[in-house]
Amino acid sequence: MASLESLTEDLLVRIYKGLASDGDRKSWRLVCRDFHRIDALTRSSLRVLRVEFLRSLLANYPRLDTLDLSVCPRIDDGAVAVLLTSRGSPWAFPRAASSSLSPPGRDPLAWTRGLRKLVLSRSTGLGHHGLEQVIRACAYLESVDVSHCCGFGDREAAALSCGARLREVKMDKCLGVTDVGLAKIAVGCGRLEKVSLKWCMEIGDLGVDLLCNKCVDLKFLDLSYLKVTNDSLRSIGSLPKLEVLALVGCSLIDDTGLQFLGGGCPLLRVIDMSRCNGISSCGLISVAKGHEDLVQLNASYSLTECSSILLRCFKDLKNLNAIKIDGARVSDSAFKALSNCTSLVEIGLGKCIGATNLGLMRLVSGCVNLRVLDLTCCHSITDAAIFAISDSCRNLTCLKLESCNMITEKSLYYLGSFCLLLEELDLTDCGGINDTGLEYLSNCLELSCLKLALCPTISDKGLGHIASKCRKICEIDLYRCNGIGDDALAALSSGCKKLRRLNLSYCSDVTDRGMEYLGQLEELWDLEMRSLFNVTGVGLMALAAGCKRLADLDMKYCENVDDSGFWALAYYARNLRQEAKLVHLNKVTVEGFELALRTCWVRIKKVKLLAALRFKLSSDVRETLHSRGCKIRWD
Amino acid sequence: MSSSPPPSSAAASPSCPKKMIALRSSDGETFEIEEAAALQSKTLENMIDEDCAGTPIPLPNVTGKILAKVVEFCSKHAEPGVDDESLRAWDAEFVNVEQATVFDYILAANFLEIPTLLNLTCNVVADMIRGKTPDEIRKFFNIKSIFSPEEEEEVRRENHWAFE
Repeated sequence: MASLESLTEDLLVRIYKGLASDGDRKSWRLVCRDFHRIDALTRSSLRVLRVEFLRSLLANYPRLDTLDLSVCPRIDDGAVAVLLTSRGSPWAFPRAASSSLSPPGRDPLAWTRGLRKLVLSRSTGLGHHGLEQVIRACAYLESVDVSHCCGFGDREAAALSCGARLREVKMDKCLGVTDVGLAKIAVGCGRLEKVSLKWCMEIGDLGVDLLCNKCVDLKFLDLSYLKVTNDSLRSIGSLPKLEVLALVGCSLIDDTGLQFLGGGCPLLRVIDMSRCNGISSCGLISVAKGHEDLVQLNASYSLTECSSILLRCFKDLKNLNAIKIDGARVSDSAFKALSNCTSLVEIGLGKCIGATNLGLMRLVSGCVNLRVLDLTCCHSITDAAIFAISDSCRNLTCLKLESCNMITEKSLYYLGSFCLLLEELDLTDCGGINDTGLEYLSNCLELSCLKLALCPTISDKGLGHIASKCRKICEIDLYRCNGIGDDALAALSSGCKKLRRLNLSYCSDVTDRGMEYLGQLEELWDLEMRSLFNVTGVGLMALAAGCKRLADLDMKYCENVDDSGFWALAYYARNLRQEAKLVHLNKVTVEGFELALRTCWVRIKKVKLLAALRFKLSSDVRETLHSRGCKIRWD
Repeated sequence: MSSSPPPSSAAASPSCPKKMIALRSSDGETFEIEEAAALQSKTLENMIDEDCAGTPIPLPNVTGKILAKVVEFCSKHAEPGVDDESLRAWDAEFVNVEQATVFDYILAANFLEIPTLLNLTCNVVADMIRGKTPDEIRKFFNIKSIFSPEEEEEVRRENHWAFE
């Protein structure tokens, strides 16, 4: 009789590859030796959490092509040096000699030849020496991410330039890199296709020019927030293969520069020029006229006026998929022009002055394929507009209506009747909606993200309707929803098992009973619960014991939480690793804080504490936190 | 008396009988399968190409019980005009069988190189594993070989602390 054990290894690999979740793959490798070996031979990507395990993991996973060390604290030059020696490691957890789990004789440096992608973002401990060593050792590396290593500068850029095979470099927020460093990379890495230099403010036209001269294969370039001028655009225009260009916040660019772009980059498909105050409709017209294959155009908060001429231009762009003109003034006739772009799937009209019911009705009569529509702060629209939108755009998946305070439950009725594919809805500050509206909305069974912040008119009853039918909900924002209490949390805990992010800040009716319900949500990893003064240590304990995946927590002003709750948090919340905001917890003593910090400091990356604690916390606690890579912010 | 011209080739006229391939299972049973359906299997396709499809093709690795079902699967998937949804529903019913049979299907699909059946059955097993603890997986599939206590501790520790 056939059994799982009668299958050959390649069949088991097939089955293993059918397991998508990390949890399932971990269960698989714990089943038996054969399964463990399959996992070791098949797994191609690892996100390492602790540096002590790094060496043995690299030795035992020969098929790794992607290594992510961004959440691994204490990656520094010393760690790299140890990784790259071929002798045994003196560290903890060496595999027993008799263990059949790691076959003998395997070359401990084989991983360097297989690695294609290395993620070192936020690895602030790494210096140029270590970086150069690892780049040189991994000769076939194609992609490197050192974003947010704010201290990185030209020496680190020089280290990166040793990677001759690199195709992708991400250096966002490497604040010390100048044109000199960029030049080194341009000369050393001639095969670059994707470069991201957001916020590298020391870089200017000189560096960009050299990059465009040397790296002619560039397909993706992000120069957002850089002080580049029109000269850079002249250089960029010469790139024959550029497809995606991001220039967000490049305030020194104007229409002259855009004309250079209009005449170059024949393959340009996506351009983001949001927050560029120097450009106007004219510049955009030259870009649009030069690129008939344009797919996405983002000019949010760049234009004061969105002229009809510009919008008529877009009619010729047969592949235009997404357009964002947030913040611009638009007229009803402009909407009519836009309605001719029937290929549009996404439109951003946030804070657009002049967005009226009539204009929107005209827009959606043509753009029936819309899936994403942003109408944030379009104050003058009413239920009539929503009716038109719902009726025309049946495929709508994302609708943002923040601050549209004339919207009532009727709009939710229309959405619940016609837009059954809706996944994301933002009703922040929509004072006109109520529980009945939420009942209508609950027909949208695909709903996964719902924002109801600042809606005082909704209560547990309304949320109960949503929770009972919308099983796919992952994110709910109930910031300052005064009508929400424990019963809403009861409903959420039984209906929305996939809930990952929840904001309950200032929902002061929530008590320990509500926290207990939250403890049943196993997937919860981001919780904001500011100022829940009816919650005590008991509630926090229930939360911590149940929500094992909790990673981000904001408990500011939870004044009734005392030491016992705090210890529970430290003990149970093994995953609290990203950020914990623990300010203004008056009942927690200094000892309570110290104990908690000692327990969870191996994981936690950022902690926000009251400034007064600075002098009370013992120095060895602070030092250890620091050496473990945890940042303390004092409030 | 003039003889009528010979009938035109089978491919042109739908009322002519389709070409059938004969298969023999490991336990001596013979099954007939339409050529179009047989082409779902790369193994059979190769044999047909090389013109070995005259006598019943012996399949020593597949029993009659399983071969009957495989023939049924291939015939269904070769049927014209079946819409995606009903085919999916039919597939779901097809694999709604006991564990041992699913493994027999996998082995047969592997041997006969039928990608659609192989993908379907492997996904079914992955579904059976999804959400189970290691202990539950062992019990469910009756897996005998396990770790030594030290090895298990090592793997458990890695799972918890080392990576994701």
